[in-house]
Amino acid sequence: MDIFSDLWLGATTAFQPINLAYGFVGCLLGTAIGVLPGLGPTATIAMLLPITFGLQPESALIMLAGIFYGAQYGGSTTAILINLPGESSSVVTAIDGYQMARKGRAGPALATAALGSFFAGTVATVLLAVAAPPLAAVALEFGPAEYFSLMILGLVASVALASGSLSKAFAMIVFGLLLGSIGTDVESGTPRYVFDVPQLYDGLNFVAVSMGIFGICEILRNLEHEQERSVGVKKVTGLMLNRDDFRRIRGPVLRGTALGSLLGVLPGGGAMLASFAAYAMEKRVSPNRAEFGKGAIEGVAAPEAANNAGAQTSFIPMLTLGIPGNPVMALMVGAMILQGITPGPNVISDEPALFWGMIVSMWSGNLMLVILNLPLIGLWVRMLTIPYHLLFPAIIGFCCIGAYSINNSVFDVFIMAGFSVIGFALSKLRFEPAPLLLGFILGPMLEENLRRAMLISQGDPTVFVRSPLSLALLVAAMIVLALVLAPSISRKRDEAFTE
Amino acid sequence: MMLKRLFKAAALAASVYAALAPTSHADDYPSKTVTVIVPFAAGGNTDAFGRLVAEQLDKRLGQRFIVENKPGAGGNVGLGDLARAAPDGYTIGMGTVSSNAINQTLFKSLPYDKEKGFAPLSLIAILPNVLVVNSEKLPVNSVEELIELLKKEPGKHTYASSGVGTSIHLAGELLATKAGVKITHVPYKGSSQAIMDVVAGHIDFMFDNIPTAAQQVKAGKLRALAVTSLDKASLLPDVPTMDSVIPGFEATSWHGIFAPAGTPPEILEKLSKEVQAILHEPEMKAKIEGMGATPVGNTSEEFASFIKDETAKWAEVIKAANIPLQ
Repeated sequence: MDIFSDLWLGATTAFQPINLAYGFVGCLLGTAIGVLPGLGPTATIAMLLPITFGLQPESALIMLAGIFYGAQYGGSTTAILINLPGESSSVVTAIDGYQMARKGRAGPALATAALGSFFAGTVATVLLAVAAPPLAAVALEFGPAEYFSLMILGLVASVALASGSLSKAFAMIVFGLLLGSIGTDVESGTPRYVFDVPQLYDGLNFVAVSMGIFGICEILRNLEHEQERSVGVKKVTGLMLNRDDFRRIRGPVLRGTALGSLLGVLPGGGAMLASFAAYAMEKRVSPNRAEFGKGAIEGVAAPEAANNAGAQTSFIPMLTLGIPGNPVMALMVGAMILQGITPGPNVISDEPALFWGMIVSMWSGNLMLVILNLPLIGLWVRMLTIPYHLLFPAIIGFCCIGAYSINNSVFDVFIMAGFSVIGFALSKLRFEPAPLLLGFILGPMLEENLRRAMLISQGDPTVFVRSPLSLALLVAAMIVLALVLAPSISRKRDEAFTE
Repeated sequence: MMLKRLFKAAALAASVYAALAPTSHADDYPSKTVTVIVPFAAGGNTDAFGRLVAEQLDKRLGQRFIVENKPGAGGNVGLGDLARAAPDGYTIGMGTVSSNAINQTLFKSLPYDKEKGFAPLSLIAILPNVLVVNSEKLPVNSVEELIELLKKEPGKHTYASSGVGTSIHLAGELLATKAGVKITHVPYKGSSQAIMDVVAGHIDFMFDNIPTAAQQVKAGKLRALAVTSLDKASLLPDVPTMDSVIPGFEATSWHGIFAPAGTPPEILEKLSKEVQAILHEPEMKAKIEGMGATPVGNTSEEFASFIKDETAKWAEVIKAANIPLQ
């Protein structure tokens, strides 16, 4: 009840010099691995798990959490500078962030990402402190039927991600859905499209696919036009945001934070949807709609705020229910179990110092990250002046290490290589990769939840409209679809976006 | 001429070297880093047991024992790597009820020779599953009441699992066969999403690994009806065993350590003895019990016959439940 005494307890834990130090180490490590393509927080936390045995539980978890949200900050750096999203959440940041960088505005793009993330992180931490249990109750309301409807909404909204032809965007979503169906069918256990390759039984790996289709493919494209690229880099103008930029990002950051905080609470894909959804929404409501896809600062601010808010609130189900919503949270649960703490609904009352200490450390960690990242912007931007013939072999090297480290599997490196060729072909044909990746992420979740809901309802399809929450989401999806398909709007859209 | 002489010298040198080189004697094993393959993702139970044992082997044998996670296809990817590794004792690996007793029946083809299999070293720990129900949705207080309800309303009730062919799923199928009830299986990808939907009341009941489920029970979110081990579980001492209601009902998640088939017997024996000794240390026992599991540490022979029984038992359940082979 008494939030201030709780926060005080948290502050006395989080501000102990030792915990501050581990928090800083975590943030630093997280930023570093976020910047290195492919090396994600999951692999890093897994590698560091044994080291945490000897630490106090508070220090261990503060450090691991720091790695997680530090990676969210760092991940956007490569997405913006070299069009290489290392994480699903930075895929959309790459769309406009990279265009900004090509126009010489890499500095403001990075600053927007850092400041937007900091603001969102602060708000989400406050939310976590005051409303964790009620938000967890909302998460419990989401059963298979509600998830299915949410995914439908996400899929429909994803059409807005594309800035080119509408039919090509649809084609890419369908291609993504098909790629997502590779692997073992969850309901029957039947393998699909695996050709007896055991590595395909769990499906294609998202990180390998996205690094191939975005990062490596971008290298191929740059090598094709190396002249153009070096011209684009020379006119780097201003590192910080000007007054006009600040005015433009205010709204997107606020909306992104709100959307990200809500979606982040939902385990099983909510946080992943956050940045996509925020971008899609901004593209509908922004007065600078026409600039999207060509380097709109709103297109960086909104998804960055959303993904950091979502990363923060994704701790809610883990801390209040003991249920991990994503692989990183599962590792945190593993770390807690090894420390002798079983996460569950009683953690708040049994381990108040741990719970509140972590919450306060999230805020101090975000502060450290912004202090750490703003001065680094100059350094990152200067990285672009490295001659490309030196830069690209290094990027490819890191990508290979990153792809291998996901599952310690060479197979994933081949997948990445294969998808770089596919990505190159698609870009030649003017198909955009972002809708493909969204279809790839949403497809399996859509199918699983549809079939699960039908199993539970014993084959009764009205279950999707009987639940008020599910009905509301479906209605929202229909409205979005109508907006996209309405002839007047689509004509305007075509005028604005096709060349 | 010159070349021929050179060849002769080389051949001689090679044979001398072969004679002098240490053949894999247990005395000097291990003389370099040993890889411990964990065929599941980091952070899970198998990973935790693997790391606990590797850390101790490291201390006792004076060489690094490095855990390498090779997840995929229900453990088949990692076990395929283990089977292909040189059988010299420098690659060993973890295996579980799924990867070493269920997949043998469930998968039409495995990435290794099923007949040759692996050399079992020792069973590390047994993790009981616990039957939990959402107490608001199912007003039952015991396994008997649950069975009675399921018989009265056949096919109407759902149970969640962490995936087709997992020990959690097969425990449900075992209940269906042994009690003669009709229940609907709702599989998930992993148990965390599954248990959440039981807590939220979207699904009626579930068998789950004990550590996470026990927390929900203690917080009053779920009701525990029975544990699936033959003995009561230390984390839930008041909960009866399934065996006391349905005699012979045992469905646990066990985790052991293996070497590739063909590893020299002296090395197998040395490793097995070390693992057994590690698992009899009080500190280690306490750690494993703290995770809700029962530490075992049996001999290679005992472990081998245990696996044989388990494989036969689950083959029967898979057949009776008509689960399609993968």
